[in-house]
Amino acid sequence: MNETPIKVVVGKPGLDGHDRGAKVVARSLVEAGMEVVYLGLRQTPESIVAAAVEEDADVIGLSILSGAHMTHFRRVRELMLKEGIGDRLLTGGGIIPTKDQESLATLGVGRLFGPGDDPSAIVGYIQEWVKTHPRSGVI
Amino acid sequence: MAVKSARVQAARGDAPEVAITPEFWSEFFAGNRRACARLITQVENDPGVVPAVRDRLSARLGKAVRIGITGPPGVGKSTLSSAIALGMANAGHKVGVIAVDPSSPFTGGAFMGDRVRMDQLVGNPDVYVRSLASREGRGGLSPATPYVADVIEGFGMDRILIETVGVGQAELDVLACADIVVLVLQPSTGDAIQSMKAGIIEGADLIVVNKADLPGVDTVLQSLRFVFSLGGPRPNKPAPPLMATSAQQSEGIDHLVAEIEKLATELVESGRHFEMRRERLELEIRDAIQQNLWEAFQSLVDADEEITSVATELAKSGGSPYKFVRETCSRIEMKLRASAKKGMKNETRE
Amino acid sequence: MKLESEKTAPVRESEFTTVSGRPVQPLYTREDVAREDFEENLGQPGEYPYTRGVHPTMYRGKLWTMRQFAGMGTAEQTNERFKFLLARGQTGLSTAFDNPTLYGWDSDHALSEGEVGKTGVAVDSLADMERLFDAIPLDKVSTSMTINAPAAWIFAMFLANAEKQGVAFDKLRGTLQNDILKEYIAQKEWIFPPAPHLRIITDLFAFCGEHVPQWNTISISGYHIREAGATAAQELAFTLMDGFTYVDHAIEAGMDVDDFAPRLSFFFNSHLDFFEEIAKLRAARRIWARHMKERYGAKNPRSWLCRFHVQTAGCSLTAQQPEVNIVRTALEALAGVLGGCQSLHTNSMDEALALPSDKAVEIALRTQQVIAFESGVANVADPLGGSYFVEKLTRDIEDEAESYFAQINLMGGMVKAIERGFPQQEITRAAFEYQRALSEKRKIMIGVNDFVNADEKLIIPILEIDESVEPNQIARVKALREGRDNVAVGDRLAALEKAARTRANLIPRLLECARAYATEGEITLTLIKVFGEFREQSFF
Repeated sequence: MNETPIKVVVGKPGLDGHDRGAKVVARSLVEAGMEVVYLGLRQTPESIVAAAVEEDADVIGLSILSGAHMTHFRRVRELMLKEGIGDRLLTGGGIIPTKDQESLATLGVGRLFGPGDDPSAIVGYIQEWVKTHPRSGVI
Repeated sequence: MAVKSARVQAARGDAPEVAITPEFWSEFFAGNRRACARLITQVENDPGVVPAVRDRLSARLGKAVRIGITGPPGVGKSTLSSAIALGMANAGHKVGVIAVDPSSPFTGGAFMGDRVRMDQLVGNPDVYVRSLASREGRGGLSPATPYVADVIEGFGMDRILIETVGVGQAELDVLACADIVVLVLQPSTGDAIQSMKAGIIEGADLIVVNKADLPGVDTVLQSLRFVFSLGGPRPNKPAPPLMATSAQQSEGIDHLVAEIEKLATELVESGRHFEMRRERLELEIRDAIQQNLWEAFQSLVDADEEITSVATELAKSGGSPYKFVRETCSRIEMKLRASAKKGMKNETRE
Repeated sequence: MKLESEKTAPVRESEFTTVSGRPVQPLYTREDVAREDFEENLGQPGEYPYTRGVHPTMYRGKLWTMRQFAGMGTAEQTNERFKFLLARGQTGLSTAFDNPTLYGWDSDHALSEGEVGKTGVAVDSLADMERLFDAIPLDKVSTSMTINAPAAWIFAMFLANAEKQGVAFDKLRGTLQNDILKEYIAQKEWIFPPAPHLRIITDLFAFCGEHVPQWNTISISGYHIREAGATAAQELAFTLMDGFTYVDHAIEAGMDVDDFAPRLSFFFNSHLDFFEEIAKLRAARRIWARHMKERYGAKNPRSWLCRFHVQTAGCSLTAQQPEVNIVRTALEALAGVLGGCQSLHTNSMDEALALPSDKAVEIALRTQQVIAFESGVANVADPLGGSYFVEKLTRDIEDEAESYFAQINLMGGMVKAIERGFPQQEITRAAFEYQRALSEKRKIMIGVNDFVNADEKLIIPILEIDESVEPNQIARVKALREGRDNVAVGDRLAALEKAARTRANLIPRLLECARAYATEGEITLTLIKVFGEFREQSFF
């Protein structure tokens, strides 16, 4: 293997069962050569971050269509910083108004995608982000 | 041999040096999960780091019991592994779970969905779960699996579950790196028993029929008993314990955990655990030396090209290959001696 | 097949398939329906097998019910939206609950954080139900409630509220979605494993048959299956198969098919592929009538009717150029009407961005009114009947559904098929196929993968849910628990638990709990003690 695959944790926080987007995106990431740890439904911010820590994920991807994106993204981001994985990318998608995306961006949340965005845009964004944010070789 | 490729590079002195700082080790030994996660990634991505890791951890290795959990797709291995891990943790063990999923041979990507069924383990301080893509393991286990298990054991876990889809190479790989192998079946796999790969039935230390809430459990148990009563699959060993569980309904789990613990105790007390570990180390040393020499040879001469051209020549002329073999070996010997004098640069640290 | 003319005339480079990927011929002729027995398979509107509609006069007799799904924030806010819609000529109510309510949790449950009032109204107890329908006469307006796993106890609160309004149960008209099977398949809002849910659904059939005879006890839904990515034929097949499963369970529980089947109703999606959707809806009626009459031996013609609500496809809406969604919705709504729906929801243009604003909801409702009162399509029953193309499509979709039935029956029925992930996997595959077609531009979405406005700026107003809703609702439910007769609540929950351990009908016990202001979450927890919780089985 020439390049180490990018590792992404994908989950749906909260009480939203619409997992079509999460599954389609997860599959697209796999087809782009990434290793995707799928957490499934009804995750708490705590369980998502705990999994990301154990998996040493480069990226956390959340899918939220329930309107609770402000609460969940904010909380996951806080926990990432608390657990020392603030150097990883937090991204995701759902029905998230531009205003909310902008306010989440100020907290360090990455780009968020919406209905109509092609999965290839997410793939490209993750690849580019990982390339421009190398993890340190020193451990 | 996929596992070898890791050892090859592991044994090579010229592997890239990775700086594992003393601060890092103190974090790791203090139980920082992020450090453990990071180290697993290193071992997974860069076999060159294995010697340093083994050097540092070896004093802590050798006590954990490694339990392979294998079986056909869809029999509920993840749910069962989760229940076993929880049962062991409740009994005071520290449990590592390695869930292996296949990498796509085309894209290199992997979809790892085992955690969906393991969400009861999240946040449990006595459990560490890690998903592992098979990568170049050619449908089997990831070549790094035994080293990942080492890291998790070094992190303080005394029970390590290795869960893998039991098809093809993976089920044989798991036999090689687990102390106890649990084969998981379900009622509808009954017919398949007769035609199952001989290796796994012989190798299994425990056979579980999961999803016992579905009809047909008794039929499977009966046909398993029948298979073993013939002495067919393993004439020299007693038949493994057979049991029924329903991981989804949490039934039979306590019994299963107790049975695994019984096997683990027997394994340790009989000295077989020690013996298995000794055998694996022996194999590892042999492989490493053999591969190391081959690597040394390759670094001295352009082996592939030379062998190809000599073979072509010999095939045409009809000569014997041993003249070339003798000459090459003495050439390597001379060069090795010369380089040994120059300094101990290439000495392996194993 | 190639037409003679196509051999010489140029043809656009396109796949010529439906949105479900079904290939479409360049032309349909008498040949394509040569083997169709129109007398037997089409009949007349209002006659078996009802391919052409459930009423002889269709919309000349009665227009479809214009029923806009609404709910957000607190009960008071949703009550206001209800009154807004009724004032603008809407003829039925449809309640959207928030996620915690849909999952059976109270607003102060840990998992409810951030979700209270977000995508629907928060209802924790009878007290919220009273506020939700305040000054709305429940005997005059038909009310639909989109809720599934905890449907029986939310309905119990609704009944208790009707009592307080002085409305007799037999005057109540409306629909409870109550369709748990599609939750396992598509929407994933479950509480227990399938068996106890199916038991409660059967309990509700029996209770309503006796006490709430005008109520549609279930709305067997393909909508969410389609939204999850299914094709038109999959939506149809899995939905009707779910329907058969409910019928089987009720019959097994000892009921006569004609005692409950007339109150079964359906809920389909109307997607963008105009003729395919019409054909799907026509096929639905024909298949259901056949199976109910011939397989289940139902005698009452009302048992044969597949009456359905239609909602336009949320997944066809785009966040880009949102006004264009008005046009999409209009086409989808027209397909629903030409397909013979009994009630219709039209999505608002802003729903790919947020919950709909008042303005957007009004346009959506006006869209239905244009179809009903201006377009003239309501003057004739089944205007497309006899169209070569539509009849052939109806036949093909019916055949495809029947072949799914056969496959699922081989697996031992729908519950077994769901347990092994069959419909889930079929849907996931279809969703991925469709996404790939979009990525490769084999399918076009205006504003998304073609005709993109590069410098697009959002110019429509967006509804925002006040952040104070959640803390207020939490305070309310906490206050409720302190102010009520907790001894009575405890007794009635205990009685419910006891009944759940027997085969007794649970609805009277749930009604007792609701009357005492037991909260939704308390009831859920009580029943979980008996029935256990279902855990996700993710299938790909």
